[in-house]
Amino acid sequence: MIYAYSPLRRFGLYIGALLALIWSGGPFLWQLSSSFQLDRELTTGSPKFWPSPFTIEHYINLVVEKSFQEYIYNSIIVASLTTLFGLFVGSLAAFSLSRLDIRGKFGVLGIILSISMFPQIAIVGPLYLLASDLGLLDTYASLVITYLALGLPLVTWVLFGYFETLPREIDEAARMDGCSTLGLLFRIILPISLPSLVTTGLLAFIAAWNEFMFALAFTSSIEHQTVPVGIANFTNLYYVPWGDIAAASVVVTVPLIVLVLVFQKHIIEGLTQGGVKE
Amino acid sequence: MSQDESGRSAAKTALAASLNRRSLLKGASLAAGSMAVGGGLLASTASGARAQGRTEITFASAKFYAKKTIAQIVDAYNESQTKIHVKYIELPPPSSSTEVHQALVQQLARRNGAPDVFTQDVVWIAEFAGAGWALPLDEYFPAAARAEYFPGLIDACTYQGKLTALPWIVDGGMLFYRKDLLEGIGAKVPETWADMTTIAMELQKSGKVDFGYLWQGKQAEVLVCDAVSVIGSNNGSILAADGKSATIGNDQAVEAIQFLYDTINKSKISPADVLSWDEEPSRLPFTGGKAAFLRNWSYVYGIAQDKSASSVVDKVGVAPLPHFAGGKSASCLGGYQYGVNASTKNREAAVEFLTWMSSPATQLRFAIDLGLAPTRPAVYDEAELAKEQPFMQTLQSVFTGATPRPVTPKYAQVSLALQSGLSRGLVSGDIKKELTATASKIDAILGA
Amino acid sequence: MSLQQTATAIAGPRKGAGNSFRWQFLTPWLLLLPAFLSLASVSVYPILNGLWLSFTNTSLITQEHDFVGFANYRLLWVDDLFWNAWWHTITFTAVSTLAETLLGLAIALLLFEHFAFRGVVRAAMLVPWAMPTVVTSKMFGWLFDGQHGLINYLLKSAGIISENVNWLGSVDNALWTIIFADVWKTTPFMALLLLAGLHTIPKSLIEAARMDGARSLATFWYVRLPMLLPTLLIAGLFRALDAFRVFDLVYVLTGGGPADSTETLSTLNYKTLFSTLQFGYGSAISTAMFITEAMIALGFCIFLYERLRRQK
Repeated sequence: MIYAYSPLRRFGLYIGALLALIWSGGPFLWQLSSSFQLDRELTTGSPKFWPSPFTIEHYINLVVEKSFQEYIYNSIIVASLTTLFGLFVGSLAAFSLSRLDIRGKFGVLGIILSISMFPQIAIVGPLYLLASDLGLLDTYASLVITYLALGLPLVTWVLFGYFETLPREIDEAARMDGCSTLGLLFRIILPISLPSLVTTGLLAFIAAWNEFMFALAFTSSIEHQTVPVGIANFTNLYYVPWGDIAAASVVVTVPLIVLVLVFQKHIIEGLTQGGVKE
Repeated sequence: MSQDESGRSAAKTALAASLNRRSLLKGASLAAGSMAVGGGLLASTASGARAQGRTEITFASAKFYAKKTIAQIVDAYNESQTKIHVKYIELPPPSSSTEVHQALVQQLARRNGAPDVFTQDVVWIAEFAGAGWALPLDEYFPAAARAEYFPGLIDACTYQGKLTALPWIVDGGMLFYRKDLLEGIGAKVPETWADMTTIAMELQKSGKVDFGYLWQGKQAEVLVCDAVSVIGSNNGSILAADGKSATIGNDQAVEAIQFLYDTINKSKISPADVLSWDEEPSRLPFTGGKAAFLRNWSYVYGIAQDKSASSVVDKVGVAPLPHFAGGKSASCLGGYQYGVNASTKNREAAVEFLTWMSSPATQLRFAIDLGLAPTRPAVYDEAELAKEQPFMQTLQSVFTGATPRPVTPKYAQVSLALQSGLSRGLVSGDIKKELTATASKIDAILGA
Repeated sequence: MSLQQTATAIAGPRKGAGNSFRWQFLTPWLLLLPAFLSLASVSVYPILNGLWLSFTNTSLITQEHDFVGFANYRLLWVDDLFWNAWWHTITFTAVSTLAETLLGLAIALLLFEHFAFRGVVRAAMLVPWAMPTVVTSKMFGWLFDGQHGLINYLLKSAGIISENVNWLGSVDNALWTIIFADVWKTTPFMALLLLAGLHTIPKSLIEAARMDGARSLATFWYVRLPMLLPTLLIAGLFRALDAFRVFDLVYVLTGGGPADSTETLSTLNYKTLFSTLQFGYGSAISTAMFITEAMIALGFCIFLYERLRRQK
């Protein structure tokens, strides 16, 4: 059996796993604890990890006072559309670069990459004007179009890198079976690339979910503002209501974790099809 | 293909795609407005239904809220009369002050009359006036009307002899202190920095508090505010009265900043952490009951009195900031003011709306429903204010002595130079050298 | 396989040789078209506009907008604040990318193994990346606050330090604290990509190496690492390009201070473009950032290109 680790190795694994859990999850657990505490408890100098007194007022504030669910709704729409379009457009491009006979492939990759090199601070302003002239301010479209372009270099490059690891023999076999070019992509390459699509999709989704600068500039009403803008709006003058912010970050992080747990299965299933690798 | 070839071809592709873009041909005048960005000035939400036959004007303001919102006040205006309809445009909250500023500048630079009326931070007044974007208001608000405001505020709204803004709400730096602790050692509320230092050291030594005095030294706008207060309280200044040269290298200023440095390094009444603190991090230990004195804005009081957020309910007092021997207290002036767009096509309507918004009755509503302090001393005597916002009433003395930050159209650049220079001085301790260097930097900015 | 099938596969559907040749040439570009359209819609105007502005003295405050040639770049060349920020940014990029790569690799190798609750650890590993950036920046302000922060409290409770450490308000610590925060926040990005990369390595290769008696370390060094290298380079490239533009963490935690010790190119650029509205000079800074990023990318790409060529 492959999984028969020696006891020492097994022990090392669990220590490692524990450290990884603490490192990644620790600050989040602290946020979780803060979200159930009164703000006053956070400044006493001896932090409590178990909330006492226990309060859910911050979660009530989120729903009643701040209408936080509306921002979440907007974020889900914007991030989902960005991810779907991004994976579609990105896999077409990556497939073309990796599998088809194309001249200057590295030049094309360089051009695609170059958008990741320009400081975003410098493109917010001109894009705002452009969106304003096109009547796209305060719409989902302005955000999706922008995030799509900003996320595309990563999606394309990562999928390109992944496609490059797939043996060429697959293509030849498929072609011999009479597969068209698009058929090769959609019926052969994409299905076996599922784990990679899930990974890049996740990265694209989270990037769109968390983006702040463009969202602040392009949207002005609660009908279209996304979660980060919503959280920034919590600040009243200088006052930062920390408990409310902690509650908000719990509320928006937990669904993402659940999402990962759900897709996890697909990652692993995709991988155990391993036959294609040889 | 190698990477730099690909870079070149990227440039070529981009260039080709652009040649027929009309936007490129419009050239510099468009370019001037094109970088600006903000919270969707064009995508506004109309407040209230638009009535037929009314003059429509737009009003843009940063987002302030409490029990009520600005939109609700504007709605009240729309319902109170039948001639004018005001469309309210909400900008980001003042915590995103840079974005609010940029949104306004972009609109005003287009000179198309939108928004007709706007609100502005006190440090933008000179810039907007210098650019000719703000309508002079002298003829609509003659001397008698101006006399009804805090005199310091009218000064701040006056640029080169013309009133180009009208005070809306006021805030200022003030000293928060622990009433219970001062009473405990039989000390009076300190009036000089030296007295405050003595009391702070005593309370710190006795272990009643961890920190004597908390202030804000983060390399940000708030550091300039803290500096204005100490320098002003030593009869010093940052710029000369004409706004054309820097005086921050002078002895009064150096002595004042030396005091801030000493709070960390000599009397040790402040932790070195203040060098990364702005308003909130410095407020937390104070409302957590661990500090004797705090410099901050008026918002702290409401939190200090909130049982769920504070450990010092009913133990906090407010006073004007201390001063040096021979000087007088100098609160750094904050707050927002109204302005009228110089290109407005509805001047009469704008002024009429402004008159209503700045009336004592409306100021009272802002004070009670939004917790924003009035700019007319008379409003502080209202019985309703005494009942609803007793604390606000006590602030009159603080605001009376408010000192504006340097008045120059190039304030943003001057402020950045100050932030860098002050922070360097407070870190190195060589105050004289750093402030002198800052002064020559500012001179270069102002002379350019 | 029949000869006929082979012929079809090579020549494509029978529509005449010329037509199918054109299609063979066009198809790759047609598939790239959506990507190009998307990128162009967002980049062409702002980039050209910025390039043009960098040769002008445009400022909304002085309301000048004249062509000044290379004057902004000459000024930039001798601007201490710019070079100060440039070095901070390079340091930040190099240290954080390296640390994230090593840590990300370690986590990826760990999560590749089989153990109970692996799914939970995998999901938890992503938490830092998933939390909204607006929250994490403020959260690190809390955690690393020198007086009421949790980090000092824990370190003191554990007896590691006796005095509070001034993480953010001291010239010696501030940049490193920000780097630490960035490493925490973005290591999951590296770990996730590397984990996906590890899964693409054929198991047979590793088993073959084991059969030959190679120990774990040797398998890693001679089999896994070389196979992982392209992924490592791509992930590192994107991380470096992103780290170079670090903004939120710095702006929220220190504002560039104390004494300019954490000023980075993005914060400097933000101050110049957004606060002082000097579009001319600010755009010159943007262009300088672009050039530096292009050089970083070039470095990675040369490696990657070599690597991919050798693999073929």
